[in-house]
Amino acid sequence: MNWFGFGFNGFGQIIAADVKCKVSTPVLLSDARGSDCRVSGSWSSRAAVIHTDSGSRVCVSGFLRGSSGQVCVPESEGCTDASISERHVTVSFTRRVECWEIQQAQNRLVWSREQESSGQDVALPLVPGGYVVPRPPFFRPLCAKLCAVSLALGTEHAVLLTASGTVFTWGSGSHGQLGHGHLTSQEEAQVVEALWGVQIAAVSAGGWHSASVSAGGDLYMWGWNESGQLGLPSQSVEEEKLRARRPGDALVLADVHKGSNDLCVDLAVNQAEEKNKDDVFISIQAFPALVDIPQVSEIIRVACGSRHTAAVTGDLYTWGWGSYGQLGHDTERSTDEPALVKYFHSHDMRVRDVVCGLWNTYVSAVPEEPSSHKHTHTE
Amino acid sequence: MFFSLYTISLLNQKSIDLLNFLPPLAQMWTEVRTILPSTMDDFIIEFSEKIEPSVLKVLELARDQLYSRPDCPSSAETAQIIIDYSWENLNTGTWRDVDKEWRRMYSYGCLFKVLSLCNGDPSQAKVKEAIKTCDMGLLMGAAIMDNILQRLVCILKNTMKLKSTKVEKSEEPCSKKMKWECVSEPVINPARAVPRIQCPSLERFRSDFLDPQKPTIIEGIINHWPAFTEHPWSIDYLRSVAGCRTVPIEVGSKYTDEEWSQKLITVNEFIDGYILGTEEKGVGYLAQHQLFDQIPELKEDIRIPDYCCLGEGEEDDITINAWFGPGGTVSPLHQDPQQNFLAQVVGRKYIRLYSPEVTENLYPHDSQLLHNTSQVEVENPDLVKFPEFPKASYEECVLQPGDVLFIPVQHWHYVRSLELSFSVSFWWS
Repeated sequence: MNWFGFGFNGFGQIIAADVKCKVSTPVLLSDARGSDCRVSGSWSSRAAVIHTDSGSRVCVSGFLRGSSGQVCVPESEGCTDASISERHVTVSFTRRVECWEIQQAQNRLVWSREQESSGQDVALPLVPGGYVVPRPPFFRPLCAKLCAVSLALGTEHAVLLTASGTVFTWGSGSHGQLGHGHLTSQEEAQVVEALWGVQIAAVSAGGWHSASVSAGGDLYMWGWNESGQLGLPSQSVEEEKLRARRPGDALVLADVHKGSNDLCVDLAVNQAEEKNKDDVFISIQAFPALVDIPQVSEIIRVACGSRHTAAVTGDLYTWGWGSYGQLGHDTERSTDEPALVKYFHSHDMRVRDVVCGLWNTYVSAVPEEPSSHKHTHTE
Repeated sequence: MFFSLYTISLLNQKSIDLLNFLPPLAQMWTEVRTILPSTMDDFIIEFSEKIEPSVLKVLELARDQLYSRPDCPSSAETAQIIIDYSWENLNTGTWRDVDKEWRRMYSYGCLFKVLSLCNGDPSQAKVKEAIKTCDMGLLMGAAIMDNILQRLVCILKNTMKLKSTKVEKSEEPCSKKMKWECVSEPVINPARAVPRIQCPSLERFRSDFLDPQKPTIIEGIINHWPAFTEHPWSIDYLRSVAGCRTVPIEVGSKYTDEEWSQKLITVNEFIDGYILGTEEKGVGYLAQHQLFDQIPELKEDIRIPDYCCLGEGEEDDITINAWFGPGGTVSPLHQDPQQNFLAQVVGRKYIRLYSPEVTENLYPHDSQLLHNTSQVEVENPDLVKFPEFPKASYEECVLQPGDVLFIPVQHWHYVRSLELSFSVSFWWS
């Protein structure tokens, strides 16, 4: 199994010591090999749990201690999983979890917790009894009754999946990312009622958007759509298209929440912006919406960056913000329609998993077996 | 004799034209460099620990690039990384809570983007984009380096003036006339008219209006404003002073509407799209914006009313807002937490005032966000939903150019413009 990366490379987190700060087609991550290899990305770095004959450890590529480089974290020897953020790396072992600050001259342990070897192998940020965030208080307890099996943390919200296939969300609701149909923030976990009755198998959270994949392979998304990250019509994407056709115009549109002392309206459900030609653009989708990828019958996994989304179908589809090449389409254009990442398909690879950093995408893929042909994809 | 004179005059004419056409590229970049710190060591970057070392590194890189290659400043790409990352942080949490450090970082990003645009002999489109970038920094960022973005805008604006040999034509054809709508002209009931007073003394104003908190229209105190005398405010004047500047516009009939939104466009685009051509785009309003902080040239055209000194606050704490839009803009019935002088400069507005004593008949919204706004549409009330509304007594007026309306603190007010209008409000305590 190999891992590939594309997107923001300003600190060499994809290709070390490369001047190019944008990688817009998938590139092999030379160090991330092996079937147990796990990858995690932050804005400025990428961590890989590398298994070798002598054990396992975390290797970090990107911004570390003042400069860009590639370094292994000695304190991570024997780890099973890792998650990286701007200043910390969280490492889980068989019987404990630790959080290390890694930007100072010396790595510093800022939090740790012993745990009984649980039968359930939960992935970070979940740990038995709760979850870990890379800032104090590092450990957040979770009610055991929730039976959490998976947790995704966005910039300011959380999406949780329970053993029974129910989705809970909490945190900031300002961009509809909680999926409850309004913009109010919630401190406590609340069921996403619109998904009641649908068995969810996987969840993901991005900057201000959320995604969940049902057991039947359907993809539901909600939250901010300012760059088309929900696969819904986006005004800024449309304007980018128009600008590309008329390069003389210097139109810059920014979608900013100007709260201050003025009057932000409490909007419900869809906040639609009308355009001349009767097109309706969706800026915020506060209820889950089904995302349709043409000619795709089943979605297996989904991952979200700050403003983009990637979905695994055996192939890889991406959409949303693309200014740093994080969509892998050999362009810096954003798109509001799920598009195939041709690289894996044309190299006869089967995509297994996807993980996103803020502005990049990491994909694990294996060579496609000639006998097991899925339906051929036609564009 | 005649021939040689003619030749000389021709030559003189020619040299003058050349000066007009000579791109002042060297001049602009030189001017820009004079307002930058002279050496890299003088360019001090200081941020709190809240800012991640990674983005700080990118900022330092931009600075190093600027000083290591004097003729080729920081790359646009480096600047854009700073802008994009800080922009994401500006959108995290509520605007009020956004750390000032991220706003400063955003301003630095804008600064370096502007510097990369100004390199060499920038086209007019690039200068425009540079001005827009400065404005984004001024609107969403926080002042850095002694408000350097403000000083940059001045240089860029002067460059624009020199570059264009004729008046900037907007994209819309000149023949497009301003839409004169048939707006319903309210007839003011004399029994309910807001009293008018001519130039009262400070004492008179305090005893008769401020202390008893009574609304009044003060006449004769702003006629001396340059906005009426040296630089009468008009669409052409505003275009010349602020045409290329980016401002926040409210789109949608009123802020309580579901379709209401804000966008950032230039004053020229606003005038072309929403003043001269309102039909296709709907109602647009440059409302509640501290335009005079953004464009100091316009601030010179107005004066703070003397009566503000009767308050307890400092003059620096007075919030001055611009309200510029076509006929038909509506501010729904609401109340503000400070005293207000609403000065009318261009056009007329219909205004209705309700005392805070009748609040219970005005059905304020329940939500925390809108509890200072009434649910009632003043000129088209739903009397089934809001049956007590007619019980509320009110005063009304048509505010004329030259009038200043005193709106006491927490006094409910509803405003509808009857035609193209420009008002200036002063919030004071």
